[in-house]
Amino acid sequence: MTIPSQSQPESAEAPAQIEDLGSLTLDEISPETLRRMRLSQLLRVREIGIFVAAVAIFVLLALMRPNTFLTEFNLLNLVRSLALVGIVAVGMTYLFISAEIDLSVGSGFAFLSVVTAYLIVRQGWDWPVAAVAAVGLGALIGLFNGIVTTVFRIPSFIVTLGMLSVLRGLALMVSGGNTISGIKAPAFQTLTSGEVFGLIPAQIVWLLATMMIGGWVLAKTRFGYHVYATGDNAAAAANAGINTRRVKVACFVLTGALTGLAGVIVTGWLQNGNPITGQAFELDVIAAVVIGGTNLFGGSGSILGTFLGAAIAGEIRSGLVLLGAGIETIPIAQGAVIILAVLLDVTIRRRQGL
Amino acid sequence: MESGRDDAVPAMNGTPPLLEARGISKAFLHVQALDNVDFRVDPGEVVALVGDNGAGKSTLMKTLCGAYQPDAGSIVFDGRPVTLRSQRDAIALGIAVVYQDLALVDHRDVASNVFLGREPTRGAAVDKPRMVREAREVLNNLKVTIPSVQTLVGLLSGGQRQAVAIARAVHQGGRLIFMDEPTAALGVREQAKVLRLIEDLRSRGTAVVVVSHNLQHVFSIADRIVVLRGGQNAGERIKAETTPEDIVRLIVGADRIVPAGA
Repeated sequence: MTIPSQSQPESAEAPAQIEDLGSLTLDEISPETLRRMRLSQLLRVREIGIFVAAVAIFVLLALMRPNTFLTEFNLLNLVRSLALVGIVAVGMTYLFISAEIDLSVGSGFAFLSVVTAYLIVRQGWDWPVAAVAAVGLGALIGLFNGIVTTVFRIPSFIVTLGMLSVLRGLALMVSGGNTISGIKAPAFQTLTSGEVFGLIPAQIVWLLATMMIGGWVLAKTRFGYHVYATGDNAAAAANAGINTRRVKVACFVLTGALTGLAGVIVTGWLQNGNPITGQAFELDVIAAVVIGGTNLFGGSGSILGTFLGAAIAGEIRSGLVLLGAGIETIPIAQGAVIILAVLLDVTIRRRQGL
Repeated sequence: MESGRDDAVPAMNGTPPLLEARGISKAFLHVQALDNVDFRVDPGEVVALVGDNGAGKSTLMKTLCGAYQPDAGSIVFDGRPVTLRSQRDAIALGIAVVYQDLALVDHRDVASNVFLGREPTRGAAVDKPRMVREAREVLNNLKVTIPSVQTLVGLLSGGQRQAVAIARAVHQGGRLIFMDEPTAALGVREQAKVLRLIEDLRSRGTAVVVVSHNLQHVFSIADRIVVLRGGQNAGERIKAETTPEDIVRLIVGADRIVPAGA
């Protein structure tokens, strides 16, 4: 049943050596294991598959609508809005890998944008102070989500669904129901939406910085290792001395702070705070993460995958508009893509036996 | 009542015990899981801890590795009284545990699992080359061959997984390793290999406590067998001086039912 192993077959041992523990081996590889190992290599090149898909959709759209899709305007608008989704998706990737979720990021995005505008316009704060305060408040919201989830053991799905509603209400309350405009801070606008070298939108610079730092921390640091371990097998992680609660709370805080960063950027970009912005923003974020191949049950995923997932989600959105499909098809496509991506992911994992 | 202590087997050659627990009691709400239990492990000894379901084996193991705090009793490790507030405390002393199913992270590689929770760093980043090197070293020392220490653990066989879990315990500097049902989920061939791995640990001077239901395995590897029943010491035997029937009697308590001299 087993294929010849790399070690000495047991039958080749002289009887006198049976007591010799030096002959102990555990390396017989069954055909089943070999098959799984090949699939495991596929798992590692999953990012390549997602990259190919992203490029293929791009080329397809460019060929179908050469005059509109490739115009500078469309490309820049696509990437500018993509950037805000991508920044929050970095935090969401951490949360997914730790086997948690945050559904409140869309409302949080609007609330923290409104807070930033409120502090600048109504309270007369300097914009850098208001920006730091909004990011800090985002971190506190994440801390609250994390503590309620881990200490009181309420599923994060429920905690953050509640917060989705609470934060939207707070956004309306702080703003009085109307957009807070009139920020008039040119430096703030330049830093959040200007063009670097007159070409690259600032949002993209913020996105790339967030992704590079977030990707490095996740892949290379002890904290990143513990995020993976916590989401894969919390009991094993805890038995190995990892404080899994603290790890999860840290992932919530990170997501909250990045939601604050995205809220600050959109405020600087548009020079206002709109309490009804970011509707279904959380779906865009979740779509980016799951299309990017991160396991929504925890334990695996990557920031590179999320970057590519955000690109595909943005392409689909942009493509539907350009192909004249109508604005109402976007949420339909978005939801269908989330379900399909998870279906594909789950199917691959089941076949791998992982 | 005190029969557990009457027939306790004295330490051989007066060697000081590696671990000696006395009068350990632990209750969960109204359930007295452990009631005044004594337990001793000598250096380089393989002790089997047996008993029926609910006899207190797991509770005793978890108490001695810092996962539970006892309500009463004392623990002396390596001649010094110790208080184990957490598993970290136990690991720092050299007491490691290999849990049955709760030890490994499937989507991470062998090296990451051997170092789980104790990843070495170089600057701010995890020192992966060192992890790969040392994981390979500790597996080689245990005579365990795994195709690559960068294979995902979820792709390994049951025996290989158990070997990785044991390798972690050894790499933690474990001088005393508790193993919870180390052969329970394995095929026959792999069971034999894990038993030989335990013998190998003993020959290297590591003390091992095996919690097991499988008396055949207990008899094939243990030097001494400690029986718990209803949260109390039910008896203790040197393997060479007992029989499986004798141990079964201690486990089920038949010695109390059958009158002496009947």
